[in-house]
Amino acid sequence: MNGDKLKIALYWGAACGGCDVAVLDTDEFVLELAAEADILFWPIAVDGKYEDIRALPDGALDATLFSGAVRNAENEDVAHLLREKSQVLIALGSCSAFGGIPGLANAVTREEILERVYLDNPSIELGNRTVPRTRVPVNGTELELPAFYPRVWRLSDVVDVDYLVPGCPPAPERVQEVLAALVSGTLPPRGAVVGAAEKALCEECRRRKADKRVARFVRPWEIVPDPESCLLEQGLPCAGPATRGGCGARCPDINQACRGCYGPPPGVQDQGATLVGAWASVIEAKTVEEAETAFAGLPDVLGIAHRFTLPASLLQRSCR
Amino acid sequence: MSRPPLPRIGVFVCNCGTNIARTVDCEEIACAAMEWPGVVVARAYKYMCSDPGQEMIAEEVREKRLDRVVVAACSPRMHEPTFRRALASSGLNPYLLEMANIREQCSWVHDDPRAATDKALALARAAVARVVRHEPLEKRFVPMNPATLVLGGGIAGMTAALQLADAGQPVTIVERADRLGGNVARIDLTAPHLDSARELLLGRLARVSMHPMISVLLRAELEQLEGYQGNFTADVAVEGASRRLEIGSVVVCTGYKEFDAARVEGLGYGRLPDVITSFELELMLKRGRIEMADGRTPRTVALVHCVGSRSEEYHGYCSRVCCMTALKYGHEVKSALPGAAVVDLYIDMHAFGKGCEDFYRKTAEIKTLFLMYGKNAPPVIRPAGPKDDCNLLITLDEKLSGEEIEVPADLVVLMVGMEPREDAGRVAQLVNISRDKDGWFIESHPKLDPVATTTDGIYIAGACQSPKDIPDSVAQARAAAARILAKVAKGKIEVDAIFAEVDAARCSGCRICGTMCPYGAIEYDEEQKSSRVVEASCKACGCCAAACPSLAVRARHFTDEQIFAQIEGVL
Amino acid sequence: MAFEPRIVGFLCNWCSYTGADLAGTSRIKYPPNVRVIRTMCSARIRPSFVLKALAEGADGVLICGCHPGDCHYSEGNYKTLRRQVLLKRLVAGYGIEPERVRLEWVSASEGQRFAEVVADMTERIRRLGPSRVEMLPSTRRAG
Repeated sequence: MNGDKLKIALYWGAACGGCDVAVLDTDEFVLELAAEADILFWPIAVDGKYEDIRALPDGALDATLFSGAVRNAENEDVAHLLREKSQVLIALGSCSAFGGIPGLANAVTREEILERVYLDNPSIELGNRTVPRTRVPVNGTELELPAFYPRVWRLSDVVDVDYLVPGCPPAPERVQEVLAALVSGTLPPRGAVVGAAEKALCEECRRRKADKRVARFVRPWEIVPDPESCLLEQGLPCAGPATRGGCGARCPDINQACRGCYGPPPGVQDQGATLVGAWASVIEAKTVEEAETAFAGLPDVLGIAHRFTLPASLLQRSCR
Repeated sequence: MSRPPLPRIGVFVCNCGTNIARTVDCEEIACAAMEWPGVVVARAYKYMCSDPGQEMIAEEVREKRLDRVVVAACSPRMHEPTFRRALASSGLNPYLLEMANIREQCSWVHDDPRAATDKALALARAAVARVVRHEPLEKRFVPMNPATLVLGGGIAGMTAALQLADAGQPVTIVERADRLGGNVARIDLTAPHLDSARELLLGRLARVSMHPMISVLLRAELEQLEGYQGNFTADVAVEGASRRLEIGSVVVCTGYKEFDAARVEGLGYGRLPDVITSFELELMLKRGRIEMADGRTPRTVALVHCVGSRSEEYHGYCSRVCCMTALKYGHEVKSALPGAAVVDLYIDMHAFGKGCEDFYRKTAEIKTLFLMYGKNAPPVIRPAGPKDDCNLLITLDEKLSGEEIEVPADLVVLMVGMEPREDAGRVAQLVNISRDKDGWFIESHPKLDPVATTTDGIYIAGACQSPKDIPDSVAQARAAAARILAKVAKGKIEVDAIFAEVDAARCSGCRICGTMCPYGAIEYDEEQKSSRVVEASCKACGCCAAACPSLAVRARHFTDEQIFAQIEGVL
Repeated sequence: MAFEPRIVGFLCNWCSYTGADLAGTSRIKYPPNVRVIRTMCSARIRPSFVLKALAEGADGVLICGCHPGDCHYSEGNYKTLRRQVLLKRLVAGYGIEPERVRLEWVSASEGQRFAEVVADMTERIRRLGPSRVEMLPSTRRAG
């Protein structure tokens, strides 16, 4: 092992693996990275065990890219472990940065999830009442599963995080920029959001924008959007106005409304509430009934407005 | 991030005699406030708004080098100006004050001293949390262009133009038609004094056309208006060519059009040649001969009121001039055709103007037959048969007698009401003013500010605001001119220190704020791809700031940080 | 101790705040549970303000503006109404009773009405019981 080489790790918590694929999507660059840095741990691509990491002295890793949210005890344990062993901890992707898609589970309780997945699901074998438990006695010994938490946490809720790289997944070219900056030691001061823009997505969206008046919101399948004009003006609940740019407006470019994966723009605390404020500002209703009609195309407001940021919301679920 | 230096806050709690102190423990608040971050002095006093009270505040500001002040007292709507002056007198920017309303919204409405004191504590704590985030603000000034654009050259437009021009200020009248005079030019005599409308107009027309400060653009239309009060740019199309005008104010005097009587089927207008409108009778009167379609002289002339007005089906409002105009026709018919009978079919006689009740009485004296019909039950007019000794028959439910009766007539005059012009919507959009449910332009305040609109620098006068007679139109026109002259006299316009502003470094150009502003104060810069607020047009409602998804729009003195701090403070 | 709701009131300067002041000058009594924050127009209220109040422990949020057609800023109250409809659906998504967020029109002359609205809302929230939003994420690490 070359002592001058950077030592890095990549890990996934509650994640789909898309962020790992985004790293691989940097194509040849990932080979250059491997030349510049020893990847000591990367469950999806490199053989390695938790024991190997535990054996390292504290701070032995120059950097860890942690994708995925914290959903269970294993996610949290590894987050603590990697924090101890890493000089720089980067939350890679929206799950790690804001809770992401797994974070939508915070709209319901742990009990509701277990019930729906293991008991009420139509595909469950009749009579099967198996629900996973943290500890199960089997043949005189006890098997242990990581505890399933009552809610999803962001990485920064359980450990100190140095950088956030938003995106679901982050655009490969931005991942490459961040990794290159890491290798060359040119990352900005800690605490920054990196691999993203400093303004909302509309800044880089190429569509023609006018003052906004929307008769009603539509479901994506209801219309074939005009490719030139603003999608929000066409009634699609585009999250772009309250979403940090940096992705290059990939979704609007293929006639899809922005889903908000880069999280809120700088300074905005609550992406969902901000989107609600913005979306409700463009309709023309003058009565509750007219407003309800105009919003019929937004059936699950919490889920649409907080698609990637529910665990980061100002407000969390009611306990009852 | 560098931490700002700790603030030095003074908290002053007013007993308001016993008005506050009877229910709220003011000493307790002062004691508690000393423990709050940033508070260096906290005092209760019997009358904070009194001279000694204000002097106490000013003294503490100077001695303790306070840079923020909280006054827990009455409503800020009551004494905020007073305490702002107290700050200013001690050299502190007046906007570094925050008030906690512990009288109107606390001591006067709650009986339980403990609960009232707790609430007062929360309000004071919130005020302290908020004032930490206050910034010194300065008023600004923008120049006032003395030139005025008058839209419409009717009686209101000409009056406004003359008043402004006589005061030495330049005016441009933009008139769509090929002559000035508007609807007044279409009438013969005026009610109730039976003066000639022509006489009223001629003098004015001559003065307008000769006046060195007035330029008149005929066959002209406003195409675009940009800018803000004191500083508008208008594009006017004159006979196909476009002309650009720099102006400071706009007076909209676009008038009305008459109701289309053919819409009321049963009256037969358009089908029966001897059913005519009031304006068609005016034409006959001006020509000097009242006659039927076949040239015969009518023996009975019937006048039908409220055609299109005060009805569920057409317009709900009263058109205000028709009752007196109908009485006027009674006089004119009697004087032109002394032998003719006049029948007046009305719903209610509205004779509210000066001299109008006398006029009504005089008309009754000349033997006009008054018949009353019900709202939403207009008379029905049909041709008379060969045996009838008349041209037309009018059927109505006569309310005074309670009977359905038939009235013979040779000529029927329909008193058509006023309605907004077809292009009123476009005009409203061009100058950014609103219209009411009937389509009339809306004034800033129906009683206290009847000629200004919600957009500063845009005024309305005459019947475009609602049906009105000549005296009211003239009064409005003069009032609008006076409002403009007052601003011209000042030479500049004071812009309140509280307005919204856009941080271009945050603005993504999404343009959600664009439709929020009722005053058109938000402009989009195509080159910078960002929005900006025209300070002089902004009235600080803050709805753009609430809509902005990038927190780029900042509502000065009502910023997110200030309100968030207040929320934490009250809880 | 009996549950006393804590309610944050956002009042527009021109109608509702003046109406609340009028309740005071008329000495109309009402429960002390609403703590008022003044904004120039009800349309200044960002949905985030309401979430913030609920997250900080408010049991209810009362927003008051001018009656429709009577807004000092022409149509600000309609903008408030539009946001309110969507906001209530957002709040319900968190499992919070949407009645905890209430919009009322109170004019400058309706001191009595303001007092009645406050009394009614206080009573309704009292019956609903305390709002129990889950601890904020930042509190996990402290504990």
